[in-house]
Amino acid sequence: MRFLALLRKELRESLPWMLLTAIVFLAIGGFSLREAHLYGMYDWSERYFSSRYISETYGLLYRHSPLQVIGPVLLLTSLGLGLVLGVRHFWIPYFTRTWPFLIHRSVDRTTIFWAKLAAAIITFLISLGAVWAAFYSYSCHPERFTMLPIKRVFIEGWLFIALGLVVYLGTALTGLSTARWYTTRIFGLAFATVIICATIFEWRLGWAFAAIIIGAAILLSQINDTISNREF
Amino acid sequence: MKLKNISKYAASSSKVVMTIVIFLFAVHILQIITVELSSEIYRMLTKTKREISAAEETKQLSDAEKRLRRIHLSGKNFLPDGTIHLTSSKERTPGLFDEPEKIQIHDANDVLIWQGPESENPYEYLSWSDQRSRPYTIYFRLTDKQMKNIQMITPEFSQVIEIPVRAQDGSVQIWRYLPASDLFMGYRLDGSKIGFLGSAGLTRSKSEAKPFGMLKFHSSWYPAGASEPTVLWQTSRRLYEINFHKQQVRLVFESPETNIKALILRDCRPLDAQMQKEQKIKYRPTIRIVTEDQKQHLIIKNPEQTLTITFPDEKWNDSLHFAATTEGNFLIHYDSEIRMPAAYFKSPNSYQQWIQKFEGKPYKRWVELYKVDNQANLHLLNRYEWTVLGEFLPKIQRKDFRVQVQRAAMAFSAPLYDLACFLLGPEFFIQRYQVNDFFSGSMQMIVNIRPANSLASWLIIIAMVGIAFLHGRPRRTSRGKLIFWLLFILAFNLAGLLTYLALNHTTIIKCPACGKSRGLAQVNCVRCGAELPAPKRRKLDLILNT
Repeated sequence: MRFLALLRKELRESLPWMLLTAIVFLAIGGFSLREAHLYGMYDWSERYFSSRYISETYGLLYRHSPLQVIGPVLLLTSLGLGLVLGVRHFWIPYFTRTWPFLIHRSVDRTTIFWAKLAAAIITFLISLGAVWAAFYSYSCHPERFTMLPIKRVFIEGWLFIALGLVVYLGTALTGLSTARWYTTRIFGLAFATVIICATIFEWRLGWAFAAIIIGAAILLSQINDTISNREF
Repeated sequence: MKLKNISKYAASSSKVVMTIVIFLFAVHILQIITVELSSEIYRMLTKTKREISAAEETKQLSDAEKRLRRIHLSGKNFLPDGTIHLTSSKERTPGLFDEPEKIQIHDANDVLIWQGPESENPYEYLSWSDQRSRPYTIYFRLTDKQMKNIQMITPEFSQVIEIPVRAQDGSVQIWRYLPASDLFMGYRLDGSKIGFLGSAGLTRSKSEAKPFGMLKFHSSWYPAGASEPTVLWQTSRRLYEINFHKQQVRLVFESPETNIKALILRDCRPLDAQMQKEQKIKYRPTIRIVTEDQKQHLIIKNPEQTLTITFPDEKWNDSLHFAATTEGNFLIHYDSEIRMPAAYFKSPNSYQQWIQKFEGKPYKRWVELYKVDNQANLHLLNRYEWTVLGEFLPKIQRKDFRVQVQRAAMAFSAPLYDLACFLLGPEFFIQRYQVNDFFSGSMQMIVNIRPANSLASWLIIIAMVGIAFLHGRPRRTSRGKLIFWLLFILAFNLAGLLTYLALNHTTIIKCPACGKSRGLAQVNCVRCGAELPAPKRRKLDLILNT
């Protein structure tokens, strides 16, 4: 019950960002996808069957799926949401001097952290995950796009959402650190950047997920230790 | 061990891992910036000087040297009867830009036998199946490396390979390659599935289809007399011919014991028909397959013929070309006395050692033309040998500024890279990680940024360990911890020292007992054993402490 109370409190604080992200992603993504559909940008037109492609040789066509147009939007909103939620959950209480009130609740510090993390995950699932699933479902109809997206693209979208969570953890570690800015305090965010690079320049989905899981585990263990031992 | 302790140890070790990863990247980025910036500045400063000295060198050549230079640079072309001609481009008249390119043809004795515009050349020479410049053909080829690149998880998501086909009944079919299952899936524009193409042919369901195996190479291919193309799909040991129009798959070649090393094609496209009519030499479509057991397999069409040639010496494999004609099959082989024995490739410095023997001296090169009979035996038709001036020898850049800066910068790299290269070999990193993804890029980098056991590197490491010891001795909480950090710096060099400093810096004071520096993380002084000085007692302490 105490955990649920904490979760409700964190969700209440995250709600504006959840709505804002969902609206931005839905508006920009939906508009781009609709434009792509109206202008037939991802359809097989006659030019692909001209002599250049067929009569002379088999032209291998490296093609992006229609969801290409919303990939960068998803990645940026996910990273942005991770950063904003990290600041909201771990930095704002420091500036508003509300950490002591939160810490002195009758639960241990780890529970407080898990409530924050659970709220962040729920925010990501609702504002980005649900909208992403809707976009994927929209683009899977042959009447809209003759070139259908593959399941791999759907999974890649979830990778981008998971990267947002890694940024959230990196921001949390940086926010909780007591070191100076020019020393190790920024390392949480720097490490999250390394994980982003390792994921978006990888061709194996398994390796990309492994990079995220290992990175998240490294950040989580440090956050857990820091929140349990530091003074607020 | 309690859960709390486990979590504490996990946090400490993950902090070390995170910090070292960040510092390794930071050090490497600094190394790149140093090398690139300094070599760019050096290049700008020395550019003019180099141009002047190059012009002076060209002027100093004697007539005999100019002749040798022309022979070396001329094309060595063979007629089907084995006669060799040396063809060289004639310099254009200054100011006449629309003048057609003229060539000079000399015979084997360097006697000029013809000169004029290239288009009017009366001789037709053998052209080789794997010559790269064929301006009238367009090739779409795909290698396993490119296949991985198109699957890269970029912000715009990965791509798929699709082959659009207009079927014989006029309907449109799209064949999509599924990398996870190594199959092609066919679908129509209304989204309905046609089926799956695998190594066993077309099937209706995915579970029935047999995968091709991991792609190594792809190319379009016109079988003899065909009006529509097929796809040649090469895996590690097999070569398939896929006809999407007819939805057929045919196994063209299989190497049961060794992997395929290279695939070289010469086909007859409808586009080339006009050109083929004008040619006296009639070429036959050929697929040349080189396997890792040093065998050359020739699959020749019109009529169907398969030849397997085994060369006694591995040096043959890198510099030979085939041409299958209606008059016979030919093989051309280039060689020189500076060809490095294969054993030298194993050591990175061996190339320099080998080439030093020939530095500045002229050396011999030769070209041989063989006829290949139906039993795959070679018969030498002609051989031409010429002398190459020392100036054409690859330059040994002992004092190259960039190399020197790079060597100095890499002295700060982790010796752990050297250990990895020693245990696994540089080939492990170069051949295994040929893709451009983040992890493979980092693995390939290890070979280039390793300190290469240089003296400078070891001196820097000793200095780093010394700094850490001086810093850590007064601050140490346990001897084991200090030894761990010294070993850590020994393994990671500068990145290790930075990690140590980032995670271990504590304030020091002067010990009131012995007067030497001591850290505040331990109660007893590491030198004299005296406890930390307690603050002076005040009147209220008794009340506050109870």
